[in-house]
Order: sequence, then C-alpha cells, then structure tokens
Amino acid sequence: MRRDMKLMLAVWVAVTAASLAVSYFVLRTLSFPTPGAAEDGIIDDAFMALTYMATPVFGLVIAVLFVAMLRFRGSGGPEDGAPIRGGGTIPKVWFAVTTVLAVVLIVYPGLTGLIAIRQHAKPDLEITATGSMWQWTVDYPASGVKIAGAKELVLPVNQHIQVNVASKDILHSFWIPAFRQRMDAVPGQTSSIYITPDRIGDPSDAAYRLQCSQLCGVGHAYMAMPVRVVSQDEFKAWLVSQQKTAEAR
Amino acid sequence: MSHSILRAPIVRGLFWAVVGFVLAAALVGGIRTAMGLDFWNTTVDWVIAYPVALLGWLMGVGVWPQWGREWLGGKAEPYALTGWQRYFGFSPDHKVIGIQYAVTFIVLFLLAGLAAMLIRIELAQPGLQLFTSDQYNAAMSFHGITMVAVAVATLLGGFGNYLVPLMIGARDMAFPRLNALSYWLVPPVAILLVIAVGMGGWDSGWTAYPPLSEVNKEGQVLFNLAVITFGVVSILGGINFLVTVTYMRAPGLTWFRLPIFVWGAISASLISFFFTQAFAAALLMVLLDRALGTSFFRASGGGSALLYEHIFWFYSHPAVYVMVLPGFGAALEILSHMSKKPLFAYRWAAGAMLGIVALSGIVWAHHMFTSGMDPALHAPFLVLTELISIPTGLIFLSALGTIWQGKLWLQTPMLFALAFVFNFLLGGVTGIYLADVPTDLHLHDTYFVVAHFHYTIVGGEIFALFAALYYWFPKFTGRMYSERLGKIHFWMMFLGFQLTFIPMFRVGIQGMNRRVADYPAAYGEYNLFISFAAFLLGASFLFFTWNMLASWFRGPAAAANPWRASTLEWQVSSPPPEHNFDEIPVITGDPYGYGGAGPAHNRPLGGLAAGSEGGS
Repeated sequence: MRRDMKLMLAVWVAVTAASLAVSYFVLRTLSFPTPGAAEDGIIDDAFMALTYMATPVFGLVIAVLFVAMLRFRGSGGPEDGAPIRGGGTIPKVWFAVTTVLAVVLIVYPGLTGLIAIRQHAKPDLEITATGSMWQWTVDYPASGVKIAGAKELVLPVNQHIQVNVASKDILHSFWIPAFRQRMDAVPGQTSSIYITPDRIGDPSDAAYRLQCSQLCGVGHAYMAMPVRVVSQDEFKAWLVSQQKTAEAR
Repeated sequence: MSHSILRAPIVRGLFWAVVGFVLAAALVGGIRTAMGLDFWNTTVDWVIAYPVALLGWLMGVGVWPQWGREWLGGKAEPYALTGWQRYFGFSPDHKVIGIQYAVTFIVLFLLAGLAAMLIRIELAQPGLQLFTSDQYNAAMSFHGITMVAVAVATLLGGFGNYLVPLMIGARDMAFPRLNALSYWLVPPVAILLVIAVGMGGWDSGWTAYPPLSEVNKEGQVLFNLAVITFGVVSILGGINFLVTVTYMRAPGLTWFRLPIFVWGAISASLISFFFTQAFAAALLMVLLDRALGTSFFRASGGGSALLYEHIFWFYSHPAVYVMVLPGFGAALEILSHMSKKPLFAYRWAAGAMLGIVALSGIVWAHHMFTSGMDPALHAPFLVLTELISIPTGLIFLSALGTIWQGKLWLQTPMLFALAFVFNFLLGGVTGIYLADVPTDLHLHDTYFVVAHFHYTIVGGEIFALFAALYYWFPKFTGRMYSERLGKIHFWMMFLGFQLTFIPMFRVGIQGMNRRVADYPAAYGEYNLFISFAAFLLGASFLFFTWNMLASWFRGPAAAANPWRASTLEWQVSSPPPEHNFDEIPVITGDPYGYGGAGPAHNRPLGGLAAGSEGGS
C-alpha cells in the first residue's frame, strides 16, 4: 500500500514534469500559427496558462491508471479488492481542491483575459467586412474605397483597426488565424472586433488568410482570401490606387 | 408463406405509411391545383404528408391492433410474436425493445462511420478528389446528425431499456406500449435521413443554423422532420425512465442503493424530458419559416438568426450530457464490478450527475462566444461553464478511487472502461479552452473543436458504450463473445482513435477550420496522417462486427453471472426469463458489496437465487 502510493506519487510528479516540459518547449513554440497582431499574446498566453494548469491534473489521472493497471491486477478469481467506500474526507478534499482550481481558472486566465481582450483604444482605422454567399465586400469608409468580391484583404501595420463584420444573406464568420480573434457575420446586425497587426505579413502563409468559419453552404471552404499586411505608406498608396481604379470604372 | 410476409408488422407499417403519404399528398396537390399552384411542392408536401405517413406507419406496425383498438372500446390483440420475429414487431417487452434500439443504432453507427471514412478519403489531400463541395457537406451533415442520434439513443435507449428494469427489480418499464411506440418512431427517422441523402442531402450540418437552413435544398425539410420525430422518441423515453425508476423499484431498493448506471439513465432522462422540446421547437420554426413564410429567424422580417442559436444550444448543450451521463454510469458500473471493489464515493458520484443536470441548462451560450451575441453574456457563461469541471471531477474521483487497490480484471469491457477515463480526461481538459472566451475566439470552429467533442463523445461515451456492449453481451444474448477478437478491436480502436484525434488538436490550433471539403496545402501532411489513422480506427469495427455476429449465432453459452457481479441483472439467467423475476427480489444492501464491506445487495452465495436471499 505504502509502496503503491509512493510509486503513484513518483509517476504523478514525473508525468507532470514531462508534460510541463513538452508544453513549454514543444507546444509553445510549435503549435500556434504565425502571430500577427498585438492582441495575440493575450490569447496565446491564456492557452499556455491553461495547458500548464492542466498538467498536474493530467499527471494524477495517468499515474493512478498506470499504477492500478500495473499493481492491482486480478483475474476474475474469488478474491475481492479492498472494501474502501470513499465516504470520508477524501471526497470533501477533492471537491474543495477542484472548486479552487475551477475558481482560479475562471479568474485567470478566464475573466482577466476577457477584460484584456475587451480593452481597446480609439481605432486608427475602421473597416467593414460584409459576407455574402460566397465572398467578402471590404469597405474602407474613411477613404471611400469599397471592394466587392475582394481578392485580398489589405491592412496597414501598427494601426489599431476596428473591423465591423456584417452579412448580406446568411451567417458567415470573419477569421484570420494570424490575428486569432473571430466574429460571426449575422444578417441584421453589425459586430466588431479590434486588431492591431504588428508585423508585415506574408500572404502565402496560411495563417494570413481571411477564412469564413461559419458553415455557409457549397462555397464555404473557398470563401477565403489572402491577407496582406503592408507598411503604412504602402497602404496609403494602395488606397489611392484603389480610388483611381474606382474612378476609372 | 407469402401470406405471412404480407402480414409482417414492418410490411404493414410501410404499406400504411405509403397509403397515408399518397393520400395526403394527393389532397395537398388537389388544393394547390385549385389555387392555381403547382401540384407538387416538396416542402409543403413533405411537411403535411409526412405526419400522416408517420401515423400510418405506427398504426400498421402494431399500435392499432395492440393498442389503438382499446381507445375505441375494442379489445387489443394479444402480443403474439415469438423467437427472432419479436425483434421485427411491436413488442412491449423492455428486453426486446432494448435490443431493437441497440442493434438499430449500431447499424446506424457503422453507416455513419462509413460516411466518416469517405470524409477522410476526401480530406487526405488538399483539393477535391472524391466529392464535390456539396457532396462533402451532405456526407459531413449526415455523419454528424446520425452520430448525434447514435450517441443519444444507443446507451440510454438500448442499454437503459434492457437494464434499468432488471437493475431495479421490476418486470418491465412503467409504460411498455409507450416504450414500443417510441422505438418504432426510430425507423422513420433513419428512413427520412437516408431519403434526404438520396435527394442530394442538406448542407447545414447537424446544427441546421438558419438562415442557411431556410434557403438550402429540400433535403433540409426531411432533416427537420426526422429530428423532430427523434425528439419525440427522446421525450417519451425520458418520461418512461423517470416514472419507472420513481415507482417501480423493488422493496428495499432506496435511491442510494440504485446501481450507478440507473443514476446515469435517470439523469439523462431528466435532460431529455426538460430540454428536448427546445430543439424540436427551433426546427419547427425553421420549417414554418420555409413553408409558411413566417420570419422567426429572418432579419428582413423582424426575426433573428441568433435567436435560433440560443434555442438550439439550450437543448443541444444539455444533449451532450444525455450522451455522456449514461456513459459515466456504465463505465463506473463496470470499473467497480471488474475491480471487485465498491464504487468509490458513490453518493458523491450520484450527486455529481444531478449537479451536471442542473448546470447543463445554464451553460449553452458558451457555444456562442463568437456569434455576435451581447458581450455582456460572455462573463456569466464563461463562469458557469467552467463550473461543470467540479461535478465532472467527482466522476473522475469515483473512477480512480474505485480502481485503486482493486483486483482489476483486464477483460475487454474493463479495457474500454479504463480507456474511457483516459479519453474523457483529454476531452474534459480541452473543453476548458473552449469555455474560456479568449482562447475560444481563436479555437472556435476549428479542428480543435472537432477533436475535443470527438474525445468527449467518442472517447468518452462511445468507449463506455463498447465497454457496456461487451460487458452485458452475455446477458443480452446468452452467449459469450470472443475475448481475443474483443481485445484486437479494443487495441485497434484505442490506438486508431488517439492517432486520429490528437493531431486534429494541433491542426486546429494551426488554423484549419472545420466543415470544409478543401483546405490550404499547409495542412496537407497532418491530414494525410489523420486519414490513415482514421482508416485504422475504421478497420477495428470489422473485428467488432465479426465478433458480435459470430458470437451471437455460434458463441459458447454464457453463464448467468460470468463476471461474478453483484447487481440484480446478473442474478437471473442469461438471457433473463420473459418477466425477469419469478419473485420480486427484496433488497437489503447497496449494490457494491465487494470485499465484505457491507450488507450484500443481492449477491448469490451459491448460485442463482434471485430474491431468495433478501426475502429471508
């Protein structure tokens, strides 16, 4: 009994340490898509915080399963296991510990992350992306540029951008993996997210694509386009070229 | 001979279904023609003719001769079928109905699994190979709703019906004919879904979000009718379990002497009974929008698409607990009996199930953090959803405490029950990321979600279902399954499952969204690997199917109590006699009296002695 408990504790510590190491060295560096916006940190940090917190829980369950399968074997013979009913303090302690864990998770990274992602300054730029089956219309109201059936989404770097998301017909969803956040396009309402692209993006990177992520029928998978994050000068030049194209029409 | 085939209940049911459909459609067509409209309109005709056909089906299959005649003061025909024919007729016997549910839904499970294999062939490489986008959406939608139905009904409808009366010392369910009626509503659900696929399918998944579900192909209409019918099955089944367990427990079987599987069944039934209406109502409103031009969910007519999401998830989140609560019950049951140890912290586990029922109704909007709903709802639903980890944690405590210091008998059912603990751990932990608003903003609608819910529903509930299937197979059939084939099935399924779904977490985080026929080339390598792993997972069911068929027909005869288990169903013969107990047993203790821990529930000391011990 003592020995089994010691073995279980050792496996628990070992599995927890190993999964912490894998989380820190492998998951953290390999798993996320290219980070492209200032807000990404809030989301990626929350993800890692939850992962680190999960490791001891994971370790405990694995340890008990492992030791039980290794040490507490029977073969269906007449012998019974120990008559432990678990009516004493163990369930109370377990209940208390899991409640504390849940409350911790709710506060951090839950509510703190929610507050952080909600805080946004006055936007430098406002754009509206309107989904329809199966394309996006992108509107830069301040510049009078409006592109229906856009082939790419062009955004300036280091500008705090308010993206208004709307729909002409059915549900769609605005999502760029590099910027993490998404918002559904709902007919009859406009919803907003705030993003601050903080590096020049490579539009051939799958993380830099505006992908519809709410099932919208036949064209859903292809309701996507590359996202090009460019310098502010380049962005201004691009807007001017778009205004000229519009005038030429 | 041909005479008797024509009198077979299913043939009569189909005949009256077709008669009902044709008559109703002709009437609708006549009225439409008189109004100057086309004779046939798929939406209107199905919405009106299907309920008539359904009534014809039910009456023909047995409701009229065995029940309906009494409503008009006549005399019902006695229940006459025997042997294998019982399974193809309107039988009020809970054991027949349990097997009808289990076999029907396992066939549907294999069919929807085949759809999953086709999906993985398509997704093995970027680009379109096997399907068009539209066919892909149809296959994905069919896979989704069929597996949801399988997950809701196999354990509760199949195992619940068979086992609950036996476990509580009753001779049948409280409402045997209502029970038969609810089973016979299932074939129309399956037939509608298959016809819908034949008509080109529908492309809105199992969630059927409007406005898409109001403007897409007519397959959607059949989907809605099928799911509304299935909702009736769920509600009727729920009522029956609640009444049965409340009123028909054997003398001495107090609430806290119930086997934990019964707690799982009644917790799930509470949810079926209280919440299913919401889903049915939402789908009915979609039909009304489509057929009559109401505008519940159309912004242009003053409706709201978000309203549907709220109503839909108000049922469909609790629905996942309709799936997993009987799974918790079955797994804990098996862990205790196969460890020869009392269920650890039994009252806490039963309480946790009720806690999950209570919380399940107030967490739905965590599916809507990115939907554009009022942001004021984010914080409360984050808090409430994370609280579910507390009762779920108690289920883990019960499982781990039970196996600790037990005598683990690692036969096939035990392997599946232990795998349930492992899989549900991963499913539960990854759920926290989706209940957390910041991480959900990125992970929502990606393959991370696909992997998460497959870990909870397949890794959790379906593994528990297979544990239950092997564990109770000797009781159901009177024959023993092949342990060797069972273990091959287990290891292939376990490994195939991990290798399929672990990489999906990563590819989802990386940025692959779900419900797409095609994806950027960057995700190609992972998807190829996932597809091959999925084929391994799929192949495991060949061994399963062979084992079940061969053992059912030719397996060695099973003892009454091959696992030396203490609950009531094992104290009667395998399979049990027609009315379960010659004498209703009297219960003197809790169901898990292993190790001499307490008074025996009804444990035979020297063989089959149902009821005799308690009576003395």
